[in-house]
Amino acid sequence: MQPTSSMNEEFLKKWQMGLQIVRPSIDNTSVSERKKAIKLSADIAMASLRKGTTCWSRALIQKTATEDNFLVRQMLSGIKEEALINKRLPKKVVCHRKIVRRSKKILRRKTKSACEEAAAKAKKLVKRRTQGLRNVVPGGDLMSNDVLLLQETLDYIMSLQTQVNVMRSIVDAAEAGTEQ
Amino acid sequence: MDLTGGFGARSGGAGPCREAIGLESLHLGDEFRQLVTTLPPDNAGGSFTALLELPSTQAVELLHFTDSSSSQAAVTAIGGDIAPPLHSFGGTLTFPSNPVLLERAARFSVIATEQQNGNVSGETPTSSVPSNSSANLDRVKTEPAETDSAVEKQVPSPNQTNRSGKRKDFEKKVKSSTKKNKSSEENEKLPYVHVRARRGQATDSHSLAERARREKINARMKLLQELVPGCDKIQGTALVLDEIINHVQSLQRQVEMLSMRLAAVNPRIDFNLDTILASENGSLMDGSFSGTAMQLAWPHQAIETEQSFHHHRQLQPPPPQQWPFEGLNQPVWGREEDQTHGNDHSNLMAVSENVMVDSANLHPNQVKMEL
Repeated sequence: MQPTSSMNEEFLKKWQMGLQIVRPSIDNTSVSERKKAIKLSADIAMASLRKGTTCWSRALIQKTATEDNFLVRQMLSGIKEEALINKRLPKKVVCHRKIVRRSKKILRRKTKSACEEAAAKAKKLVKRRTQGLRNVVPGGDLMSNDVLLLQETLDYIMSLQTQVNVMRSIVDAAEAGTEQ
Repeated sequence: MDLTGGFGARSGGAGPCREAIGLESLHLGDEFRQLVTTLPPDNAGGSFTALLELPSTQAVELLHFTDSSSSQAAVTAIGGDIAPPLHSFGGTLTFPSNPVLLERAARFSVIATEQQNGNVSGETPTSSVPSNSSANLDRVKTEPAETDSAVEKQVPSPNQTNRSGKRKDFEKKVKSSTKKNKSSEENEKLPYVHVRARRGQATDSHSLAERARREKINARMKLLQELVPGCDKIQGTALVLDEIINHVQSLQRQVEMLSMRLAAVNPRIDFNLDTILASENGSLMDGSFSGTAMQLAWPHQAIETEQSFHHHRQLQPPPPQQWPFEGLNQPVWGREEDQTHGNDHSNLMAVSENVMVDSANLHPNQVKMEL
């Protein structure tokens, strides 16, 4: 399950394209500006590798499109960027507050044994972690079920590792250059 | 009832050896089919051979209605892994497919007794069957509908028939839902899908669906555990999830950190493909300093980036927790940038050219392919 070298190369190609687009606008700006642009382009490159097949990549593209619409459009040209940017993500499922409260009341009425209580506690812990994972993975709160969430997390971690690999090799080379 | 007892004991005893046979059992099943169909009718000597030649529904009836002694004899004949070849066949036909028969017999007996007791869960066959003989089990399951109806005729009691009807409905539902997953070859032969219920597990559709979902989640969890380093020894869903969240966050932080480093080290990002292409031939010859630097720093990276990544990670493992990025490192980076700006500008230019050449060296063929 390690990211492959073909993925690395593809990402590098995309990223170079993005940097090339970004470059004229950030030539003589502060570090934070440059860093932001670099990160943005890297993110878009990572998301565009999946070509909109995964939920997280779509969410990431939409999120970056709000920050720098021009760059996203430029980088995604060729893979239906309009459809990706404007694609409506699945709606968040929002429960009515009254219904939730009522169901909680009903739940509370039941008397629980110690074993059940422990199970409920474990379930609660897992639920909280799942919520945390949703917050971490882009578009996680739009994924309706846990299976989908875990699958997307798998894919997202793979892509992140690719991104980190390539960026690290580039940065190391650049820093080695400065030392000499 | 004594029937099931005998079968249970038999199948329990034959468990390990059946697992060993599991792979061959498909083939053996075919042989058994042929045997059953090609048996000459005049061979019918004892009750057991009669049982074999009859279609399965009648066989069940026989099993059910023969007196205890004859059925016991049948049981011993069927379950005889060590038993000598059956003499009722005239000695010429040996009996090759013990496991198949065993399972079939167990299935029948359980269905019969199930109807008697009104016990819907069907624990005995599923719990006693090893997992690798699943295809075999499917074969055996090919005519449960018939047997169900046959047994219904025998024991006509209102609530029990109702139950069996429900069960049939459920089996149909499961069949239709998971049919797509199977290969076409299997699809022709095995119309039934087994969502197994172990001893004491519920078999209504809701809990079965929930169980299937949980299994899916567990499989994904396993994959994630393999993917996230140092996560495979942790027990417990919550802890694993914690670790996964940490890993994702650390990766995200690494990306931030790396982009910051790149921004600090290389203020003029010169990834211009045109200049790269133009200078691809020239820079290798004219840029003496950049050429040497690149060859010192990049020989392995030009070959494969993954290797270099591992190499670098071994050299200087960057634990992401040590880079609390937000407010703390900001001044440091700023200072460094000032320093680099203060040093001299030509150095920076050299660096940028370096990176430029490196990228050209990394993917010259790709770049060519693009154009």
